[in-house]
Formats: sequence, C-alpha cells, structure tokens
Amino acid sequence: MRKLPVYLLIDTSGSMQGEPIESVKVGLEAMLSSLRSDPYALETVNISIITFDRDVKQLLPLTPLDNLQMPDITTPESGPTHTGRALQMLCENVDREVNRGSAEVKGDWMPLLFLMTDGKPSDIKLYREMVPEVKKRNFGAIIACAAGMKADTEPLLQLTDRVYSLDTIDSTAFKSFFKWVSDSIGVGNRSMGATDELELPPPPAEINVLF
Amino acid sequence: MDRQQRHTRRRRGPHEGLDRMLGEAMRQAGIPSDRRQAFLTEAFGRLWNEIKEERMNQRIITENNIRNLGIRLPNGTVNKDYTAGFTLPNGEISAPRLDGADELGLELVYSPEDGKCQITGRPHTPGDFTLTLRYRTVEGEPESELRLPIAFNPDPRSLWRNIPTDPKVIYFKPDSATAYVKVEAGPDGTPRKDIVAASQRGRSHAQEGRPRDDHFLVEHCDRSDWYVLAVADGAGSAKFSRKGSEVACDTAVEYCLKRIDDNPPFEQAIRDYAADRANTDRRHALTQFVYDIVLRGAQAAHKAVSKLADLESDTRVKDFATTLMFAICKRFDFGWFVASFWVGDGAMCLISENGDIKLLGTPDEGEFSGQTRFLTMPEIFRDRNVYNRLKILIEPDFQKLLLMTDGVSDPMFETDRNLNDPAKWRELLDRLAHGFPADGIGGVDLDDDNEKAADQLLGWLDFWSPGNHDDRTIAILY
Repeated sequence: MRKLPVYLLIDTSGSMQGEPIESVKVGLEAMLSSLRSDPYALETVNISIITFDRDVKQLLPLTPLDNLQMPDITTPESGPTHTGRALQMLCENVDREVNRGSAEVKGDWMPLLFLMTDGKPSDIKLYREMVPEVKKRNFGAIIACAAGMKADTEPLLQLTDRVYSLDTIDSTAFKSFFKWVSDSIGVGNRSMGATDELELPPPPAEINVLF
Repeated sequence: MDRQQRHTRRRRGPHEGLDRMLGEAMRQAGIPSDRRQAFLTEAFGRLWNEIKEERMNQRIITENNIRNLGIRLPNGTVNKDYTAGFTLPNGEISAPRLDGADELGLELVYSPEDGKCQITGRPHTPGDFTLTLRYRTVEGEPESELRLPIAFNPDPRSLWRNIPTDPKVIYFKPDSATAYVKVEAGPDGTPRKDIVAASQRGRSHAQEGRPRDDHFLVEHCDRSDWYVLAVADGAGSAKFSRKGSEVACDTAVEYCLKRIDDNPPFEQAIRDYAADRANTDRRHALTQFVYDIVLRGAQAAHKAVSKLADLESDTRVKDFATTLMFAICKRFDFGWFVASFWVGDGAMCLISENGDIKLLGTPDEGEFSGQTRFLTMPEIFRDRNVYNRLKILIEPDFQKLLLMTDGVSDPMFETDRNLNDPAKWRELLDRLAHGFPADGIGGVDLDDDNEKAADQLLGWLDFWSPGNHDDRTIAILY
C-alpha cells in the first residue's frame, strides 16, 4: 500500500536535556494519539524519527502508524549539534525507504519533513552541503521549528521558507506544535496533486511564523 | 500386638531417634542443657533467613532475566485478530498468567514444555492499556510481575464520518450521482447496449464534509444511436476541481454530440475504413474526422474549464484542475466503432467478446502518488504526441466498455502494469458481479435494461480498501 512518509528530525543536544526533551516526548505522544484517531492517517502515515546531538541516530525507521511504539529518547550531557549529519542520514533513509512510482509499484505520497532544533548546526559546512540534497528529495513540505530563544533561524531558512519559532520550550508549546504537525500531516494526506505547495492549516498562537 | 499398635510405634520410632541424636550432638558441642532450646531456635532462625535470602536473590535474578528479555507487545487493532508470542525460561518460572487480558479480549496460553507464551484474541476497545504478567519463581516467594504496555488502534472503518456537503458551498454538487441509460431493443428485436454509471464521494472527503470532485456524463442519441461516455476526476488539491470535472464532462459530451448526431460523411468514413483497413487514404480520412470531433472536443473542454478561472476573481486555471476521459461509440453492421480521448490517471478499457482487454490509452502517472497530468495543463495540447491520447477501435462486438477514475482503478489494479493484465480485469468484473460479501457489499446485475444496476453500482462503490478513499466514479457501456 502507498504510504505517506513523515520524517521527524529532533534535536537531542545537551541543551534539550530535562524539561525541553520531556516536553517534546509529551508532544510526540499527543501527536501520535491524535493521528491514530484519523482513519486516513491510520492507514497511510508512516513515521520515522531521527535524533541528532553529537551522534545521529535513526531512532525509529519508517514505521506504519498502527505498528508504531514510541522509542526512548535520551540526551547527552553536552556536546555539538550535528544537524548536517542528520540531514545526510535523512537523505540516505528517504532514498531507501520511500517508493518512487513505476509501472510495477505505485509511488508513495510525497514525504513530509519536520525538523525541530533549539540551537544551530555545529557542522555548518556539511549542513550547507546537505540543504540542496534534501531539496532534491521532493518533500511535499519541509517545516522547521526553532524552539526557544537560542535557536538560530538563519540556517533553517536555507532549508525551507516554512520556519516557525516557539518562544518557550515547554509542554504546552510543543503540544500545540505537534498538534499542528498532525493536522498538517492530515492535510498532506489529502492535498497531493495539482498545486505545487501544500496548503497547511493555520499555525497555533504559540508559533511565530517567519517569512 | 494388633495392627493399630504396630502402626503407631513405627511412626513414632524415628522421632525418638532424632531427639536422641540432636541431644547427643548438642552435648558434644558443649551446649549446656538449659540453653539447648534457645540454641535450636537461634540456629534454625539463622538458617531460615539464609534460605529466605537465597530464595529472594534467586527470584530477583529471575525477575531481571525476564525483564532483560525486553518483551514488547506489538500494537493491535480493534476487531482484528491479535497474536503475540514470547518465550519465558521454563526452568526458572512457572504458572505465568496475564492480568487484565480478559477485559481486553485476550488470552495467554503457556506451554510448560518449552516456555512458549502465546497471546491471542480480538481486541474490542481502542486505547493504551497495561497488562501484568504474573509468574512464580521459587517456592515460597511472592508472585513476580512484569508490566506490559499494549496499544490497540481503533478500527479505521469505525472512524469514518459522513458529513454532508454544505449545499451553499460554491459550485455545489450532490455527494453521489447515478445514471442509467436504457436503450431498448431495436426494431428487429436484438437487444441494444445500455449505460450504467455511478459516482460516490470518497471517504476522505466525507470525513470533512467536503464536496465530491469526480464527475461523469453519459448520453445516448436515440436518432443516430451514438453513445457518449465521459468521466473526470477533479484534482484533490485544486479548490474548485469539482466544477472543472463537471464542465470538462459536459463540454466534451456536448461538443461530440453536436457533431456526431447527424453526420453521414463521418459514418461513411467509418464504413469505408472498416471495409478496407489497409487503405491509408481511408484511414487518414477517418482520422481527420476523429481529430475534429474527439480531439477538438477535448480541446473545447480544456478551454471551457480554463475560462472558469476568468469568472471568479482570485482563481487560477489550476484551481479547476481535472482529468478527463471520454469515448464515442456506435454499432454498425460490421461491428462497433469506438473513438476516445484520455488525459490523466484512472482507466478506460474495452473488454472484447472473448475477454481480451483493450486499454484505450495509458494513464499519466507521476513519480509520486497523486501526481498526474490534467486537462487544464496547456502543454497537453501543445505536445506533438497529443494524438497518442486518441484511440480508434473497430470491434465485432464487445462485452463492456469501462471508464473509471483512479478512485476505482487504484484499489483494483494498484499498478499501471496490472492495467494490462487480463486476469486483473477478470477479477474486477468478478468483483462487480459478486461484490464483497465479507464486507457486506453486494454485486451489480449487469443485465440488459436493469435500471436497478445504477443504485447497485453506487452501493458497490462503497467497497473497502485500506488507504484508498478517493472519490470513485465508474461508467459502463454493456
């Protein structure tokens, strides 16, 4: 069956330790439960989670929503934020996990990418190299979330013009962010076709839209 | 000595001996006789504690072993059979049971021979739950437990809502439509083919009360005996595609009807070509007619849809994006003449008398799902290969001519390659005839003049196919 691949790239660097990462987990759980109540999402959405700090991990390979069990997310004490390496892994995974259409196989829906970070890429050179690579992967939408005041939006704006910033890193903010992500996934499920761009639902009040 | 006495003595005997041995051992160890009772109490107390500690340690080791198995129960789905299995170390544990399983409609079966545990059942309630696996380790120790989270997804079928489209919405169209074109037997008594068509809003639209984007129009000219069938699929993401598909069908059908209803030269060209198909002049003459009628019909539809964008401010042509396939057909004394045009996805196919399939074109498929080509794209008619979208067919007779949007062809064929597979078409015809009994979806009686077939076909379009909830439209000439 054709799937809607959704890639979540989550910053797990040291600064995320404690309340921020716990808030992300709460937000993710709420998102999953909201998606599970959407019959279309339940049948089509596949989710992958990649975390990045000094290490980049595929925490969850692309998994159908109905089989998905939340993996444990951990953060190191401190260290660099390898966002570029994460994008590299993303491209490799997309090439492997997303079906392009052919006469034999019906293509998957265009994948969606959500990237959340509270800082800036430590591997900025690789990051800049990977940006065009990501763009080649035909994402239906790329949405970046700059969480907290220390998040650098400039590199994110190279990746996508959909950059949203959260002033606070708490569970309310993340919950509404991930609620919006799940609404966007719902839209992604239905809107593929004639228009070039995915029309997203309006973001919640906690999210500031950067243009 | 009677029997009773002998029995009693035998039983008492060893105790007397044990007492004597214990007394002797304590005397030799130098324990004063008045401390012997206290000594025994303390000695056994210590020994007992040691044994208890050992047992507890053993239990904790086993509990850790079990925890380290990392047992995770896969998610289940309501109303679907659930099975999960894991193996417990049968040498270390016994009598496992699963608390909470009963309430969730599950059952644990344990086989002590190999330690295999099998959880089976049919979940009835969606949500996140916790089961508790309880088991015995060492005799005398309390029961051990392991908490196992388990999640049941709702049955996706139970989540769909059917919200009617607001009749006040711009370009409103009913959520479903049917048509039956009954063509009664000719003067000579031979039955003539009928057309049945149905269009049903997809569940993904019904879920949100959004309108149906598909459209169809089927006509028969009583005077000239021409049949015209058109089916269009408005792009899901184009906001007014429901109007685009409607105007595309209406325009193409109307354009063709006007030019075929009374066109003796065209019919003569068809006869001439049918009589000598090797004759290139005749072929060219016929092609010119088909070009003027069918391709220009498609172009007229393209223009009419494009014009819609001028009527409303702030709309673009692609807001009306739609696919289109249509066919004109007529029975002659030599057999059937069919000419068609097809842009976009879906399927249009003629099933010949002997079951052979003749696809009337190739679907336009993109690299990703949902990408296709639309009638509204100007490049369609600029392309030199636009002629490939036209098909002309002469058949002695045929069983059925089918036109369908991808809402039907995707779940039925899955891939474009399968569209060329006669077995898949037989399967579709079989599904049409018999429905989906397991899901309570009935079949369609495609008998001559059976006007009930329209409603049957509409009901049939409600078939279930995971992930396929697009609008569904099908038109059949049979």
